[in-house]
Amino acid sequence: MATIGLIASDPSDAQSLSLLAGEAGYLVCGASRLHEAVEILRERRPKAMLVVDEGGADAETLVREVLRVSPLLPVVVALKKRDATRAVALMRIGAAEVIAPPWTRENVRAVLAKTLRYQGTAFSVVRAAPRRSPHFYFFAVLAFFAAALGVASARRAQRLAAEAAAKPSSWELPYKNPAALAFDSGRLWIADWFAQSLYLHSPRTLAVERVIHYTAETPVSLSFAADAAWTAVASGQIVRHMKDAKLTPVQRYKSPGTIAVAFDGLYLWTIERGDKRVRKRLVDAELSVAGAYRYPGLLPAALTWDGRALWSLDAGNRELIRHNLERPDEALERISLAEYADGKYRPVGLAWDGARFWTVGERIPKDSGPARVFAHPERR
Amino acid sequence: MKAGSAVRLPALIAFPEPAARAEGWGRFEELSSAGARLSTMTKLSSGERVLLSFELAGEAFAQVPAEVRRSELDGDGYCAAELVFVDELVRRRLAKALADVLSRS
Repeated sequence: MATIGLIASDPSDAQSLSLLAGEAGYLVCGASRLHEAVEILRERRPKAMLVVDEGGADAETLVREVLRVSPLLPVVVALKKRDATRAVALMRIGAAEVIAPPWTRENVRAVLAKTLRYQGTAFSVVRAAPRRSPHFYFFAVLAFFAAALGVASARRAQRLAAEAAAKPSSWELPYKNPAALAFDSGRLWIADWFAQSLYLHSPRTLAVERVIHYTAETPVSLSFAADAAWTAVASGQIVRHMKDAKLTPVQRYKSPGTIAVAFDGLYLWTIERGDKRVRKRLVDAELSVAGAYRYPGLLPAALTWDGRALWSLDAGNRELIRHNLERPDEALERISLAEYADGKYRPVGLAWDGARFWTVGERIPKDSGPARVFAHPERR
Repeated sequence: MKAGSAVRLPALIAFPEPAARAEGWGRFEELSSAGARLSTMTKLSSGERVLLSFELAGEAFAQVPAEVRRSELDGDGYCAAELVFVDELVRRRLAKALADVLSRS
């Protein structure tokens, strides 16, 4: 009997669908919230996930999140209100199928059967080569020694080239109090808290191309999305901006102590100074917190999203931390920032340009000199 | 020119006003400039007229008129319908879009 997962926050919906799926011959593992569903995905390995659409962005978020955890798992959405446009939109973002209301034994059985029967792209792992004769191994060893000599000299050349390329680029800035930096479609923005301004810099020369001054607020963090910019400000708010010439603020959310923001395309990640927790937030009316996790470092200063992973800047240990997206309190990788080892600068901002990390440092002691931007070696 | 896809394109199924039927949805099993094979839980009958809306490689096709040539229920209770596109201008536009998609495959 195949197991399917079910996410339904309303107990009556959960009971109704569990009964119908059970009558169709499936074993149902229910969850009322996303994090419970993630546990089911890990422990029970269901053949499909059934998600009840409560309206709003919930079903879309759930579909995306389930597919993020289990990319090959079929996700079926059960609508509570018939809406063909919504059904097609959900299928476009990845739902395998959508069940129309009213939920009946026939349509639940048909949809689940069709979904589980569908053969999508086949994936496989190439197995090891079959056993060979002893002669093969003799010649293989000879070839190995011949190749080793060539490899050694190639590696030396590569190492010399890497050492030359590894030297980071850095530039002095015409201001002293950077708070954050971020890329938006290849354009580099840096926030200066003292000037209460955002500076747009040429990524090649770092010359200032434009300045946006905010009279009423002090930006301390900055992140760009496809259709908005997000800042955290010192007065205890997260601000969403239009991506116009003035980055006009359009919405404010109360969030005391937020010192870092990063948008991953689905969630807004933040770190708050007070409890040093990494928070995963839904982009809804209140920026509701979907999860809060202990920061696995000393002194969080900034966050950035590199397209696949969430990274933070630990100003205390002068390193970058790559977070496990399912358990952000777990560090998957740490990169030491040698550029800050001499103690002349304190790292305060972090950004990703598509190929390399950039950081910005404030001079130590504070106000003793201009800030500096560092472009770190490319990651492969 | 033909190519397979890992994705079955979703489509919105609407009906001309006189039919007074609620919209449905389905997925294309096959799509060509002349017609399509659609899999849907919406019951379709031979000779019925439908209006299909879908997106192909970023290009939107809205309310494409099609006629159901054949329709039968499969083993799962889904309606497998063969459709023919009846608007010549849409067929040409679709042919161009499909040729572009296939040339990139």
